[in-house]
Amino acid sequence: MATTIISLMKQVPLPSQMRMGDDGLMDRTKAKSIINIDCSFALEAGLQLKSMISGAKLIVCSMGPPSFNQSLKKAISMGYDEAYLLSDRKLGGSDTFATGLAISTMLKHLGFGKGANEDFIIVAGRQTSDGDTAHIPSQVAENMGIPQATFIEDIQYEDGHIIARRIIEGGYQILKLPKPCTLSLTPTGIPPRRPSLAGTVRARETKVTVFSIDDVNLSDEKIGLSGSPTIVAKVANIKSQRAPAIFCDGEGTSDLVESLIENIKKGKNSLEETVKKEIKKKEMPEDYERVDFRKGASGILTWAELANGEITRPSLELLTPARNLANSLESGTKVTTLLIGSKVEHLAKELIYHGSDEVIVVDDERLEEYRILPFSSIFEQIIKKYNPEIALFSATTAGRELAPRTAVKTQSGVTADCTSLEIGEHLDRKNKRIFSPILESRRPTYGESKLATILGFHCPQISTARAGTFEVPPRDESAKGKITTFKPVLEEKDFITQIIKTVRGDGGLANLFDADIIISGGRGTIGDEMKLIKDLVNTLKDKGISAEYGSSRPMVDEGICEYARQVGQTGKTVRPKVYVAVGISGAIQHIAGMKESDTIIAINKHSNASIFSHSDFALVGDYEDIIPELIDRVKKGFAFGLKQNGDKGSKDV
Amino acid sequence: MEDKNRLFTDVLVVGAGPSGLSCAIHLANKLNCGGEKKRIMVIDKGSEVGAHILSGALIKEEAFKELLNEEEFENLPTQGKVIIDKTLKLSPSSSYALPFNPPYMNNLNRTIISLSQVCRYLAKLAEEKGVEIYSGFAVDNFIYDEGNIIGIKCKDTGVNHNGEKQKNFQEGTKVEAKLIVLAEGTRGSLAKKVKDKFNLRAKSNPQSYSLGIKELWNVKEGSIKGGEAYHTFGYPLNTKEEFGGGFLYGLKDNKVALGFAVGLDYEDPTLDPNALMQIWKQHPFIKNILKDGNIVEYGAKTIPEGGWNSVSKLYIDNLLIVGDSAGFVAMPALKGVHLAVTSGMCAAETAYIALIKDDFTEATLKKYEKLIENSRIKKELYPVRNFRAVMSQGLFYGGYKFGISLVTNGYSPLTPLLPKDSKTTKKLKEYNGELFKDRFKDKLEFDKVLTFDKDTSVFYSGTAHDEEQLVHLHVKNMDEFNNSNIKEYGMPCQYFCPAAVYEEHIDKQNNHALKIHAENCVHCKTCDIKTPNDEITWNTPYGGDGPQYQNM
Repeated sequence: MATTIISLMKQVPLPSQMRMGDDGLMDRTKAKSIINIDCSFALEAGLQLKSMISGAKLIVCSMGPPSFNQSLKKAISMGYDEAYLLSDRKLGGSDTFATGLAISTMLKHLGFGKGANEDFIIVAGRQTSDGDTAHIPSQVAENMGIPQATFIEDIQYEDGHIIARRIIEGGYQILKLPKPCTLSLTPTGIPPRRPSLAGTVRARETKVTVFSIDDVNLSDEKIGLSGSPTIVAKVANIKSQRAPAIFCDGEGTSDLVESLIENIKKGKNSLEETVKKEIKKKEMPEDYERVDFRKGASGILTWAELANGEITRPSLELLTPARNLANSLESGTKVTTLLIGSKVEHLAKELIYHGSDEVIVVDDERLEEYRILPFSSIFEQIIKKYNPEIALFSATTAGRELAPRTAVKTQSGVTADCTSLEIGEHLDRKNKRIFSPILESRRPTYGESKLATILGFHCPQISTARAGTFEVPPRDESAKGKITTFKPVLEEKDFITQIIKTVRGDGGLANLFDADIIISGGRGTIGDEMKLIKDLVNTLKDKGISAEYGSSRPMVDEGICEYARQVGQTGKTVRPKVYVAVGISGAIQHIAGMKESDTIIAINKHSNASIFSHSDFALVGDYEDIIPELIDRVKKGFAFGLKQNGDKGSKDV
Repeated sequence: MEDKNRLFTDVLVVGAGPSGLSCAIHLANKLNCGGEKKRIMVIDKGSEVGAHILSGALIKEEAFKELLNEEEFENLPTQGKVIIDKTLKLSPSSSYALPFNPPYMNNLNRTIISLSQVCRYLAKLAEEKGVEIYSGFAVDNFIYDEGNIIGIKCKDTGVNHNGEKQKNFQEGTKVEAKLIVLAEGTRGSLAKKVKDKFNLRAKSNPQSYSLGIKELWNVKEGSIKGGEAYHTFGYPLNTKEEFGGGFLYGLKDNKVALGFAVGLDYEDPTLDPNALMQIWKQHPFIKNILKDGNIVEYGAKTIPEGGWNSVSKLYIDNLLIVGDSAGFVAMPALKGVHLAVTSGMCAAETAYIALIKDDFTEATLKKYEKLIENSRIKKELYPVRNFRAVMSQGLFYGGYKFGISLVTNGYSPLTPLLPKDSKTTKKLKEYNGELFKDRFKDKLEFDKVLTFDKDTSVFYSGTAHDEEQLVHLHVKNMDEFNNSNIKEYGMPCQYFCPAAVYEEHIDKQNNHALKIHAENCVHCKTCDIKTPNDEITWNTPYGGDGPQYQNM
């Protein structure tokens, strides 16, 4: 039997035209629609796979309103053979959990995922631009009971196996997967081909098969709002809080840089202090029934992710919200951290020093490197045993697949990429109930323009936290805690995916977060492949200043900079004391990743570049002239207002 | 083996503008009437129909009445009728309304439209009649059989900057057609190829063009009424040697269409049409109307305005040329939409006869020329055939001679022969007048409220181009370009391009070099027309790239 390649595709509103309805749900009626960018890379990956697997059949599946037809037809015009759409009004309001289930049910209806020795490959986009959760591929994989690899940049096919290159923090990993499996593609691989005219004519003549939920035997209560363990409780606007930039001026580069130095001395513009309004406590009606849906679940579980045998910084950051949440709950609520690896017991203390009450150590030499199948299985076993009310993961490429796959096993909802985690109450007016206490997970959405509050009603309430958002808690060697070991039950098939190679660069994640000054290059610096920027960083380092370089997305797409250095919505959020944006136009996705920096300096030759509206100091000119001048000044002692000799000082809060 | 990437059709129309769609609709009507089943395909390089369409537009409705049935005509999307029709002479700070409009410039009760909207409507009608319309596909080549054109090939996609095939390479589909109708619009690249290869220009003047820049604004309630139409001449042009003027029409819902056109036969190597438009907007008359408004869209397009004398032979075996590609614009009236429709209908009549006879040779297609000669096209173009040529002598002398020609059915004494626009630009050293960039040096700062620099303007065109492709703007010989265009002319393309595609990059050693920002291109084709020595060729980029006009 020939291989079937199944591409999961979603149609999304043009990111620039996204609107939200009054109900807090996406209003898709007004915006022009496109195939979600990541999905279009998955469509291309499917076509590439077909060229490597002779006789493979290509099908494309989607879930959404009938208007999705146009995108399914586009997939056919690109070279797909068949198209299927699950479309039913009752699917409206489904969260990722319900969506993953619905899509899997359709795939099962089509005859996939029913038994052993099946020959199919699912390709999907990493995440969608109107949701940004990256949950669906993992949830579909779990529902289908097949291995997965997410955040894939490149796919090869050898001897009936998939060789996939997966982005990990600070580098990449080469994985070997059997069929069937699910792969999610980042938009950094091979760009989607354009349809041919002949393909478009064929698409016109091809019918998209549309299923209702009855057609695929999906019951009402498993989908839509009733089948969704999470809800969007509130959506608020996010406003920029930066005063207008000071434009440096001067005849020639030297004067321009001199002006910057003078202006930094004088200080940046500041907004008039807006008095923070006391947030009014919502009046909770007293006669409403108070519901504690936890049913005995208690405690916060976090995951200690490892890289190069060390606990990653984002995992330590997690302990800050974990501790705050525990403090807001009943006294005695514990923070428990799961530490999985090989010969890692010595690291447990480090977690306790940073605030864990208990560390569960799972030590097994097969678990030296993170792998989704055994790790999600261990989480399932731990959650069953410990019954935590909340589980937190950092939103790294590992955390963002581990959380949703685990959540399917525990029937929980997941909130992705949160920037705020608090305990609150939820008023259910319709049924005169108050759910309390409940985890309020807040995450920026719709291109960082809105802050959505997501609630889940099943324990554990699972969230992933955006790296760089929370501070690492202070290290306290006198802190006491319990260390327990746990022997999970693991099967041979949990190790079916092989790790061929793991490559982590020296740069990347940790350094980027720790640096006092980050110099980032954008499209405007493609010319010299960021050489001048690296020179400036090295000059700063020579002077004892903790400096790193980063980039905006085009540089990663061009292969000039590694993904781990990408700053922005789909990369890292950084908060250095000084952020220098060079040749970066200022797309909102990039701003999202650096707007919390103390001082922002922008260098761009276009005086109207939007980066200038998000910066404190603006230099209009050619970076190829300005950076050498800056290097010169740094050599003579200019330090962007930072202290030298490695004295990092304490970060402003 | 069956070639999956090859299609066959009876009639292929390249370009879904007013001429191409009219041809398709009229032909479909005739075939449906006769119960004939023939395949008509229309392809367009815009991402959707209308995306690359830009026009004023005040139209003469008559042609649409001929094309459409009563109900279809009733539903034609319009922006209302002209209720106030004035021609204004502008000086730097004042305006003077002519007591009566110049000949051919009476527009009272004419219809204001957005041509993008009208084209989308026509496309819908055409599809209902069985025409297949495919947008987002660029055509860059013909397929030949023994020297005869028998079809077209769509552009290959998935190549890198150097033209090397990438993993996502997709070969362009070949379409064989019994009859090809070229309706690419102004300066069509295929039409240009055909006219050169088959020497169709043997008996006609070279085409001359204007560049029209247009903006669409939302204005404050009460600033202007729908149906107010103004045409201006004079300021900021130097009317002795620069030909052109502005227009401003009140549309529905407090929207205003305004634009400025300048003849590309000017001599000043630093003249900047976009800057002219921005300067013109600062005139009190325009500024007052736009006050507290905001720009919605921006675009630019060239207008073929050589008139009858520049119309080449328009048919060869298996192929016809219609609309702006043919050069059917009635110049003093500034109108071409209705002629585009008529030429499309003439082509459809011809195509119908050819389909019935199953003969697509010149012998049959010659009929197209006859139909044009008997249509309003000749009737409107012939008497004014010398208008643009005499106007090249300046507004006053030209106006005087045009006056003479009105009573002699177009004959004008001592009519100069219009040279190609690429030949009229003077070298910096040889240009005697005050250069544009000096003349307006204190007016070239733009406030981004009323006036905009080119980068900002381009944003409002919605243009986008895949960066993974050959640069679609081809410089024939970079050394020659450096020696002549940059050194002698001061690189006019950096000024005339309305989309900041061409940058003169000066490095620290004071070397001047051309930098092309192809992604900004709004497909106006000025560079293909106006670059001295014809050093730049405009090729079509990937289909779907380019501006995204909504209501232009």
